[in-house]
Amino acid sequence: MSNEFNKGRRKFIKSAFTVASALAIAKVAPTWAAPQGRSFKDQILTSDEIDLTIAKSPLLVGNKVGTPITINGQMPGPLIRLKEGQRAKLNVTNRLSEDTSIHWHGIILPENMDGVPGVSFEGIKPGRTFKYRYDVEQNGTYWYHSHSGLQEQLGHLGPLVIEPKDGDIGADREHTIILSDWTFEDPDTVFRNLKVAEGYYNYQKRTIFETFEDVRQQGLEKTWKQREMWGQMRMSPRDIADVTGSTYTYLMNGRDSQMNWSALFKPGEKVRLRIINGSAMSYFDVRIPGLEMTVVAADGQPVKPVSVDEFRIGVAETYDVIVQPKQNKPYTIYAESFDRSGYVRGTLTPELGLEAEVPELRQVPERGMAAMGMGAMAMSGDMKGNSMNMKHMGGNNSHMTHKMTHKKELPVENIKIKHRESGHGAGAAMIATNPVSRLHEPGIGLEDVDHKVLVYTDLVGAHEWPDTREPERQIELHLTGNMERYMWSFDGQKFTEVDGPVQFHHGERLRLVMVNDTMMDHPIHLHGMWMELENGQYPRPRKHTISLKPSEKVSLLITADAPGSWAFHCHLLYHMKAGMFRVVNVA
Amino acid sequence: MYGKSLLVGAALLPGLAVAGHAKEDWPEPVKEYYTGQVLFDRLELTRTNEEENLAVWDMIAWYGGDYHRAVFKSEGENVQDDGEPTDLERAELLYGYLVSPYWSFQAGIGTRGSLSSDASMENYAVLSFMGLAPYWFEMENSLMMNEEGDVQFVSETEYEWQLTQTSYLQPRIELTANLTDSDKYERQSGLSNLRVGLRYRHEISREFAPYIGVYWNGALGNTADGMKRMGENTTETGVVLGTRVWF
Repeated sequence: MSNEFNKGRRKFIKSAFTVASALAIAKVAPTWAAPQGRSFKDQILTSDEIDLTIAKSPLLVGNKVGTPITINGQMPGPLIRLKEGQRAKLNVTNRLSEDTSIHWHGIILPENMDGVPGVSFEGIKPGRTFKYRYDVEQNGTYWYHSHSGLQEQLGHLGPLVIEPKDGDIGADREHTIILSDWTFEDPDTVFRNLKVAEGYYNYQKRTIFETFEDVRQQGLEKTWKQREMWGQMRMSPRDIADVTGSTYTYLMNGRDSQMNWSALFKPGEKVRLRIINGSAMSYFDVRIPGLEMTVVAADGQPVKPVSVDEFRIGVAETYDVIVQPKQNKPYTIYAESFDRSGYVRGTLTPELGLEAEVPELRQVPERGMAAMGMGAMAMSGDMKGNSMNMKHMGGNNSHMTHKMTHKKELPVENIKIKHRESGHGAGAAMIATNPVSRLHEPGIGLEDVDHKVLVYTDLVGAHEWPDTREPERQIELHLTGNMERYMWSFDGQKFTEVDGPVQFHHGERLRLVMVNDTMMDHPIHLHGMWMELENGQYPRPRKHTISLKPSEKVSLLITADAPGSWAFHCHLLYHMKAGMFRVVNVA
Repeated sequence: MYGKSLLVGAALLPGLAVAGHAKEDWPEPVKEYYTGQVLFDRLELTRTNEEENLAVWDMIAWYGGDYHRAVFKSEGENVQDDGEPTDLERAELLYGYLVSPYWSFQAGIGTRGSLSSDASMENYAVLSFMGLAPYWFEMENSLMMNEEGDVQFVSETEYEWQLTQTSYLQPRIELTANLTDSDKYERQSGLSNLRVGLRYRHEISREFAPYIGVYWNGALGNTADGMKRMGENTTETGVVLGTRVWF
């Protein structure tokens, strides 16, 4: 086994898999993000044990030395390649001074192997080794990360790729790209800053001069109307990401834009890019100027090919795209933070050392009336029942109506949403009185781009899933929050306030309805079971993480076939830490 | 607190002691978070139109969770080189509870007076309603009652105009009203004092922001009449140089 992946098409030689070759793989691992990538039918690791050691060690991040949590000495951790049908044997040794864990994100496995301290096991104590053992019954692009405290922000994460049984990657070559956000600040400090100083990391707020400019351009009345509702709600239309490029260095496979992670291709080759958003808090808009991307999988699961120029990837989501660069020139892989506070780029290139033009960051977007459920919304708490406010807000939607084209009727549109009498309490600063389906919208900042952007309604499952039953039962959950005190919750109750788990009955077919009663986007992740997105397509796409836009309602079908306790949470790390977390119990 | 009761649908199994973690000796997957902050909103030197120099502070410190907090507030001034002791305008210890998304209700005790060894302090009970009003008006409304039963109301409102991402123009208004006469502390009932200020603040960091500003202070109503009778000026203006700092 050489350190370099063979660019040709090697034969799959099973006899080569000895313990020695397994060790060699582990050593090779740091070069997983090698420019060569992998070619179809390269050797892959099966049935061998993989040892992962978690430690803190100084590492160059961009042009400065940080102290990330490394896995086998690297950050992000090694690319773990497994094969569908094998038994995964992963031994995780903790060399930190605190507990740690690894959660295999998107993998269907037994409850006690899921790696969530307090839900699936007690965690891995310092100095101890936990042996993860599970049968791999799926294939695709996934990832793994710590589920202990804020360790994920320190880089405790890595890519996990599962080869299909036949080894066919549907391309001549593949590259794995994991995006992450790194800060030199202590993650606990970041969390405290969010808690005690609202807007701490937002350096894109509206200024008074912008208001003057708006008044000059569109008159006082219109400007006032636009400002009025935000003022009443005490919220900012520029509040897009809680933690921004003001502290983050965005990384592609652990490298910043200057280090320019590069991936090789030969003109005419089909290249599969396995793109994972391993960020703690950052949504990215990904594009390769000059290349069309064909999306072939979402969250590791195959979808019918759909060609796009750009896609937004929520935190914890994965997309597989196939590109076919024909020209003998470099292309920039551009991942722009969705609040436009920063980006990271890499290069897809026929030879090393080349780079292509790097696009400018686009203008800072603003949230529109759609963020509030088409402008019709009420406020909870002290503002509730103020009919004048309601009237003004009702008046606003007429001229701010969003694009509502080519929309199919979805099941969720006929579901009446119930809010609790209390308006979800002091932990919820907002109630979306009229939540709508927004699956056909590309999301904030992408509404008016002049090229094709992937939307959730484009996703069609590649084939039918085993359970085709109609749902027997419906569960409704509301995403709630209070920016002022950085409280995040479901139904207005933080994890520490709820009495018990969300109960699924073993074997039942469920419809999960979620309503986003906040002004932020939230990537919601269910462990242990797939969620089929009711986006009007059939077969439905399967997701492990579903991103909800502000004031959106979404419905998903779940087969409760995984007995035990599972985490269910917002995958924005600091939202989870603040309480946007539940345990689902299947029994 | 709103609803520890049943949730949506039949989704939740009520009555379990824990939020769902499986074993008692396992850690909670998400813990309650407690933190605190010390904020000197005003830490300044003032030059009045009567050519007095004052050192002024106005701070708040708190510790707690999202709903329940222990709060300490303190405000006072010292006239430089006049030989008089520092005037403590208030030192209050309160318990605060978040009653709605933007407002907390606070109740506690306070003391104020001249910080000299022989002076007797005025002790009082205080109720305060503090939070963010629509259109981002930062407000604090306090009702105080001392041992004599004298009642006073103080309302403070601040607003911030964002000039750039790190600089602000901040008007501030403080209104004091006495609900009762007080012979002991020489207070006349009615509106008694209005202070209006404007400052320009520039953040070196979010935590450290120097500022310059001006203010106008005027006695009102019966209080002003009383001062006039004594031949005192009922208004005062000044310039301030200070820092807003938190940690």
